[in-house]
Amino acid sequence: MDRSDHDRQPHPREDEHEFAEERESLWRITLGPTIWAFHFAISYAAVSVYCFRFERMFEMGWLRAGLIAMTLAMLVAIAWIGWRAFLRWDVRGTGEFSNPEGSAEDRHQFLGHAGFLLALVSFIGVVYDTLPLILLGSCR
Amino acid sequence: MTPTPRPARPRYRHALWLAPLLLAACEGRQSALVPAGEDARILGDLFWVMLIGAVLLWIGMNGLFYWATRRSPAPHSQTLANWLVIIGGILFPTVTLGALLVYGLSIMPDLRATGDGPVIRVTGEQWWWRVEYERADGTTVTTANEIRLPAGVRSTFLLDSKKVIHSFWVPSLGGKMDMFPGRVTEMTLGPERPGIYRGQCAEFCGESHAWMAFEAEVMEPEDFDAWLEAEAADAMPPEGDLAQRGAALFLAQGCGACHAVRGTPAVGRVGPDLTHVGSRHSLAAGRLGTSAEDFVRWVANPGAWKPGAEMPAYAHLSDAQLAAIAAYLEGLE
Ligand code: HEC
Ligand SMILES: [Cu+2]
Repeated sequence: MDRSDHDRQPHPREDEHEFAEERESLWRITLGPTIWAFHFAISYAAVSVYCFRFERMFEMGWLRAGLIAMTLAMLVAIAWIGWRAFLRWDVRGTGEFSNPEGSAEDRHQFLGHAGFLLALVSFIGVVYDTLPLILLGSCR
Repeated sequence: MTPTPRPARPRYRHALWLAPLLLAACEGRQSALVPAGEDARILGDLFWVMLIGAVLLWIGMNGLFYWATRRSPAPHSQTLANWLVIIGGILFPTVTLGALLVYGLSIMPDLRATGDGPVIRVTGEQWWWRVEYERADGTTVTTANEIRLPAGVRSTFLLDSKKVIHSFWVPSLGGKMDMFPGRVTEMTLGPERPGIYRGQCAEFCGESHAWMAFEAEVMEPEDFDAWLEAEAADAMPPEGDLAQRGAALFLAQGCGACHAVRGTPAVGRVGPDLTHVGSRHSLAAGRLGTSAEDFVRWVANPGAWKPGAEMPAYAHLSDAQLAAIAAYLEGLE
């Protein structure tokens, strides 16, 4: 009963087993860009609808504040996704920048790498999307 | 040293002859680089910023190529390569594009400021411009193929089109704006320096697109007010025998079915309003001058000057008849 870990029979395909979440991970790398896409669509749709219909009903400041709050939440989410991906990439642990080998572990780390870069691009994209909101305060 | 005569390379020499011509094109009354208004100035600055920035980048990139292929062609360390990618490939473009975005967004409110001057409705037709000034008292002053603006205030343009897409552009005064059938687009321009500039349709709209231009005169505000007052008035009655005969011919030939001359039975709206055509700077949307000779040329055969022009030729009229019509039109000041 008190067999230590060393005595355990290794799983025949341990490495694959350990990194078995690859399918899920493939989805996960699209999270950053998806948030970016929603940010873009929501911001532009909200401002166009506001300028088309509701300009006289309430101040644009409210809309801007709401959208900027949404932006901050999305930036935090992207940063978190990026950080998780960075850990999966594990460049600091392994010192391996690229993972070309195609073993399960390599795939795991590669997906981390890709997810991290996509999160970075998404973060920049969301910041760029938001600049008009900050700099242009009106419908003109 | 005696120069050896070398007859070769004539093409090259021709190109040199052309160079000053190219520079000359930057001067003048249709140049975005010689701004005569606020908007053109902002756009001119934008052009120079982009041009100088692009040249610096180009020099920098080529410097790097030179360094990597000639000065230091050996493999570089992994660390250097990584930092090159992180700084040169991510950080630098992100910051540069971000700065350009901020710059671009910061000039947008200036370019789209609301007008505090006259409101002018311009409709693109094939191939001319219908121009209507909306006055404070609710009346409209109709003219064509020429736009006059007071210096120092922002005029508002409400742009529309009859059939196809045109684009309204006076490079010396500002940017361009497309004109769509059935949808009014709005633009404001703040001219500063009085003078006569040239506008041009900037969206291909059919065979005479290139001949669809107009004159844009920026005037001192008092002069503008006086001009608009005169423009609002009915046409002057023809003076002298020739012009009177011309006026009668104008009606008899049916010109009034398409053209309006306010104060006469001619009330057509198919073609340009001719009430004050004699005071314009050009004829047929910048195609001809405004001498009697030009009127004769145009009326006798519009299609010769503007292929596809939607005005019939009057070549069957005698020279005397054409001269009479020209005298009448020239007198409509
Ligand atoms: C079928 C309609 C029609 C008739 C009839 C007609 N015109 Fe025109 N006319 C036009 C149109 C359309 C233009 C604008 C053409 C263009 O610039 O492409 C024009 C342009 C002109 C112009 C130049 C106007 C400007 O703003 O520069 C003059 C002058 C003119 N017509 C005189 C006449 C005279 C004189 C007659 C009669 C002898 C006549 N037109 C008959 C349709 C007509
Ligand atoms: Cu046109």
